[in-house]
Amino acid sequence: MDPVAVDLAPLDGILARYPAEESSLIQVLQDVQRHYRYLPRPALERVAKALGVPLARVCSVATFYKAFSLVPPGEHVVHVCMGTACHIRGAPQVLDELWRRIAPDANGDTADRRFTIKAVNCVGACAAAPVVIVDGRYHGGVQATKVAKVVGLEEGGRAS
Amino acid sequence: MPTVTIDGRRVTVREGAYVLEAARLAGARIPALCHHEAVEPIGACRLCVVDIWKPGWDADSFRLVASCLYPVEEGLVVHTATPRVMETRRVALDLLLARCPETPLVRDLAREYGIEETTYRKRENPDDCILCGLCTRICDKVGPAAISTQSRGVLREVAPPFFEAPPDCIGCGACAEVCPTGHIKVTEDGFTRTIWGKTFEMLRCPSCGRAYLTRAQAEWMAGRGMPVEPLCDSCKRRRTAEVAASLGRPR
Ligand code: SF4
Ligand code: FES
Ligand code: FES
Repeated sequence: MDPVAVDLAPLDGILARYPAEESSLIQVLQDVQRHYRYLPRPALERVAKALGVPLARVCSVATFYKAFSLVPPGEHVVHVCMGTACHIRGAPQVLDELWRRIAPDANGDTADRRFTIKAVNCVGACAAAPVVIVDGRYHGGVQATKVAKVVGLEEGGRAS
Repeated sequence: MPTVTIDGRRVTVREGAYVLEAARLAGARIPALCHHEAVEPIGACRLCVVDIWKPGWDADSFRLVASCLYPVEEGLVVHTATPRVMETRRVALDLLLARCPETPLVRDLAREYGIEETTYRKRENPDDCILCGLCTRICDKVGPAAISTQSRGVLREVAPPFFEAPPDCIGCGACAEVCPTGHIKVTEDGFTRTIWGKTFEMLRCPSCGRAYLTRAQAEWMAGRGMPVEPLCDSCKRRRTAEVAASLGRPR
């Protein structure tokens, strides 16, 4: 269940942008994800009805792609790049350290909803490897020793 | 109609048939766990692999394909049990057995291919689902598409939306009917049918009184202008037989 009642009014605008047919599904879900930062269940139910797609299929698509999430993200979203360049320069240790420090569940969400951690593939800034993105902001050269600071767990960080 | 050669036997099959159909026509035994005539093939289990050769190819260049979704064409040559075909099936069965180590259907088939226990790590808390996708395909085709696969990769599973009793389900039981392993459970007590955690009222056959159809399915069909069968299957068969007998009586 969603922790708070979801305002579904913005859905009308999103749905109005696309033809009401099955082929619009992914685009609509992308816009819904962008707006709410996740896919609220009542929104999925509305989308299914509006596009005439069975709810089961909507859920199938919504759970298939990594870009979609059915739970609201934490207050701060941290992407740790696991691309080849970052991998070679120590990204696995960065992720391990972060994981150890904030102990999220298997989905990368912390119980206090403060953080969501996601391992992602090359984010296109290989020269700055290892790269960590905090709330959309790129940080380069983030070694395991620095990551706590970068995500705001220690003094001098940006995300707190 | 194309003529193809299956293990040295020539057979002629209907246009648009897949190799599996032709091979079975020729008497070949091919395991095919995700295949069912009622739905389109998706090539999920890879057990139906065969070696094929087409006119124009080098004499020794064969290709492994999933016979359930490879269309026949004139002159196609098929070998259904070459060493590499058997080995490919063995690997697929070994993996299936790691997924479903206790499932009788999988165990029996694996044994036929000489595998008693999987060489891979067994899945923890296994269920009987082999992810053949027959249930979701049949529900898409003859029902309301109430269930689907959720997630992907190792987390992929068949489930209703949000893992709750599926709102669109009409209790027809087609998914349980096609499920090759019996993973989908249906229970009936003469008055109701329960499936996917949802309980349905049953309608009775006016001739024999047996519960034979859920009210939800009858209404769903009526709403779509589909004829709702007024009798249960066995009464319908009996009636047909009676009619046939009365017509066929020698004068
Ligand atoms: S539940 Fe049965 S029919 Fe559905 S995918 Fe699993 S094994 Fe196949
Ligand atoms: S590998 Fe990390 S930015 Fe390219
Ligand atoms: S029957 Fe062909 S892949 Fe499963």
